[in-house]
Amino acid sequence: MAAVKNFADKISFEQIKVELLNTAYGNDRTLIARLDPRTLFIWYMLFGIAPWFIYSKTILAGLLLFVIATTIMTRVSRLVIFILILGLLGESGYMLIAALFFGGNLSIVVPLLMLTMKLSVISLASMTTFCSMSPERLGEGLMSIGVPGQVSFSISYGYRMLPNLFDEYNHIFMSYRLRGKSPEKHGIFYWRSAAYFVRLAMKSFYPLLLSMAKRARTTVEALETKGGAYAFSTPQVKKLKLAKLKIGRNDYLFLLLSLIYLVFIFIIGHYIQL
Amino acid sequence: MNELIRTEQVTFHYPGEDAAVLKKINFTIEKGEFLAVIGSNGSGKSTLCKLFNGLIPHFYSGDFEGTVTVCGQDTRTSSVAKLSCHVGYVFQDFENQLVQARVLDDVSFAPLNYGKADYLQRGRRALKIVGLDHLEDEFVWQLSGGQKHLLALAGCLAMDPDIIVIDEPTAQLDPYHAKEIYDVLKTLNEQFGKTIITIEHHTEFIAEYCKNVLLLNQGAIIWKKTVREALAEVDLLTELNIYPPQVAQAACRLSAGEPVPVTLDEGIRFFGEKAMQHADDVRSEHKPSAEEPIVTFEDINFSYKRMDRTRVQILKNINLMLYKSEQVAVVGNNGAGKSTLMRLITGVKKPDSGILRIGSLSVTATHPERIADQVAYIYQNPEEMFIDDSVRKDIAFYPRERKIAGYEAKIDEILDQFHLVDLQDKDSRLMSGGQQRRASLAIGAAMEPSVILLDEPTANLDMATRKHLTQFIVKLKERIDLVMIATHDMQLVSEWATRVIVLHHGQIIFDGRKEELFANPALMDKAGLFPPQIVKLSLALGVKPVAYSVDSFVRRFRKEGSKWQPSKISQTK
Repeated sequence: MAAVKNFADKISFEQIKVELLNTAYGNDRTLIARLDPRTLFIWYMLFGIAPWFIYSKTILAGLLLFVIATTIMTRVSRLVIFILILGLLGESGYMLIAALFFGGNLSIVVPLLMLTMKLSVISLASMTTFCSMSPERLGEGLMSIGVPGQVSFSISYGYRMLPNLFDEYNHIFMSYRLRGKSPEKHGIFYWRSAAYFVRLAMKSFYPLLLSMAKRARTTVEALETKGGAYAFSTPQVKKLKLAKLKIGRNDYLFLLLSLIYLVFIFIIGHYIQL
Repeated sequence: MNELIRTEQVTFHYPGEDAAVLKKINFTIEKGEFLAVIGSNGSGKSTLCKLFNGLIPHFYSGDFEGTVTVCGQDTRTSSVAKLSCHVGYVFQDFENQLVQARVLDDVSFAPLNYGKADYLQRGRRALKIVGLDHLEDEFVWQLSGGQKHLLALAGCLAMDPDIIVIDEPTAQLDPYHAKEIYDVLKTLNEQFGKTIITIEHHTEFIAEYCKNVLLLNQGAIIWKKTVREALAEVDLLTELNIYPPQVAQAACRLSAGEPVPVTLDEGIRFFGEKAMQHADDVRSEHKPSAEEPIVTFEDINFSYKRMDRTRVQILKNINLMLYKSEQVAVVGNNGAGKSTLMRLITGVKKPDSGILRIGSLSVTATHPERIADQVAYIYQNPEEMFIDDSVRKDIAFYPRERKIAGYEAKIDEILDQFHLVDLQDKDSRLMSGGQQRRASLAIGAAMEPSVILLDEPTANLDMATRKHLTQFIVKLKERIDLVMIATHDMQLVSEWATRVIVLHHGQIIFDGRKEELFANPALMDKAGLFPPQIVKLSLALGVKPVAYSVDSFVRRFRKEGSKWQPSKISQTK
């Protein structure tokens, strides 16, 4: 139980906030992060969607190696990787146990491995694409492919407010604790304490919603005074906003190398079957 | 020709409210003015300022009559976006007007939206004016409160407006940062020819920086005067719950008919010519009690993690013992660690190292819920304490959870004591600032703690609310063992505290009597503290002992000729 307590102490609100912000903004100086968002969208079409239609284990393994490399290059935060591994293991593990329980045998492992590999490739490709783009870049990228300006503003604004949301939620949660009463006894497996905290965690959202609504009022007014509505409806402004997006040599090189690698593993997959 | 703003017979009703917030408003503002808009809470100051960029009538539905002309445009036919090119607006909750993650993106957001190709240069130029140019790549949430306010101002400057409206800069900032903002505003006014309109409670800032004053009461304009004439109306201002500068208050009570001084320098000249009765230095002895301390800090350290995973030290080697019936004020700039120091006592944050005890209870090993049996903490922002949907339920939360017998009667009593009976079924979040503050204190009172921690209790209050609150704080002493207040309000410190702790960059640089603190300008300067004007005046005039309130200063003169008795205030303990 001490280990659980120790772990619980480590994942504080502060910790989660830092990790989330790092996921969004912390790695925008890497090689991949400096590519044009549109390049990354094209690349994602190749590596994020193609695996659904590939059944050769050799090719999938080759893709997996490649996206592992790109994920390392983008310096994704540890928290996200941890959650991904937890998710993959949980998903596959549960299906394996379910299959064995309902009369399957170990032959289930091979198809499960295939599924896990596909999911991993897609997840890692998504991480490479979306974790290396800061919310602003993502917004600009989306705008450049015709998504309305309001959407891209909402993305960057949402992330801007994220730390505030976290702090405020933390304050409200603590308000409950500073006046509330925790269970006298922890109960078996700490269930009483766990139930108490889960209840507080849910209750804390209601005051948060109300105070956010109040904040939003100022933001909407401020946005108006900063010409937000004018910008959304004026094509010249959109052009100005997108002027800094530029597909350069690195972009072509990155796409070309990815393509060459794809062709290469498809050829190998044709001759060698794992 | 130089007229920038003209209002004619402007009346405005919010929907669903009987009384108009603005009643037949007529006035003009000329180019180059530095105007303070004053009035008690709810007099319509913010509403008035929202006329200038067209938020009223375009954004607030309600009945609007009359005309407002801004830079030659009728606000009814113009738009908020167009008017905002001429009028920059810094909101009171300025944090919510910063909409981008990085400083440079945020400051150049408006010029980019208006399609100005040189938006980055504009942003950089604005940052340079407010002195944030070294932070252009920083994230907004890493900035301090003062820096965020400067950034909000820079965001307006990037559009190079003719008029800048600032809603209560001193409400959210400590005096040091408020002064910083006013110095920037002064430069903008004098060197760049901008017209500045500020909503301000703090008349000492008005006396030092503004040129004209517009007084509002219940939605009507009483007058618009020059600063000198305006602040000399001590009686009228006091009646409308506005504190005139302390030098003016003192002068007004001591001499009728003479022109009243409004700034410290004038005060020194004014009183310097008059004879002043001196007395022996009376010290309010701060003697360490022989009793066991109520709260003990031993080598406490606290740090938090920044986004780049480096740690920032907030408190360094804090050693502190607090005794029964002390009235402790914790002072220091924003970010000095005041709130953290108090929150550690509640147990919601645990120190990195060191020992922290309340009596014999170890805070580090105890849940906040247990500590709450003894300690009540009142947040700086009351809204963060409201967790239920009515005032009454919020106050009753603590006794209800603990199933304290007969608590309902107790709640009735507290509601009455804090004048909240009529408001008890209202949602606390929808009340005014002063009402919220009262409710937050009532929540603390219902906990019947032995230690109460108040974080900035007097911030952002008008005179009536502040007076009421100070009475409450003084009364606390009777029932509560230890009262501790973190505050910027040096007037409160000088009138109430028996022990002052000065924090600076997470360390205690002073712990002792306020007399010693106020007599040490170098230390005050280092910690970014400003003594109350009356204390500065007494020091400059060589008054001994120093007067800590206008009352005691005035009494000093009245006693002239008779045998002088040390005043009550100067021997608080």
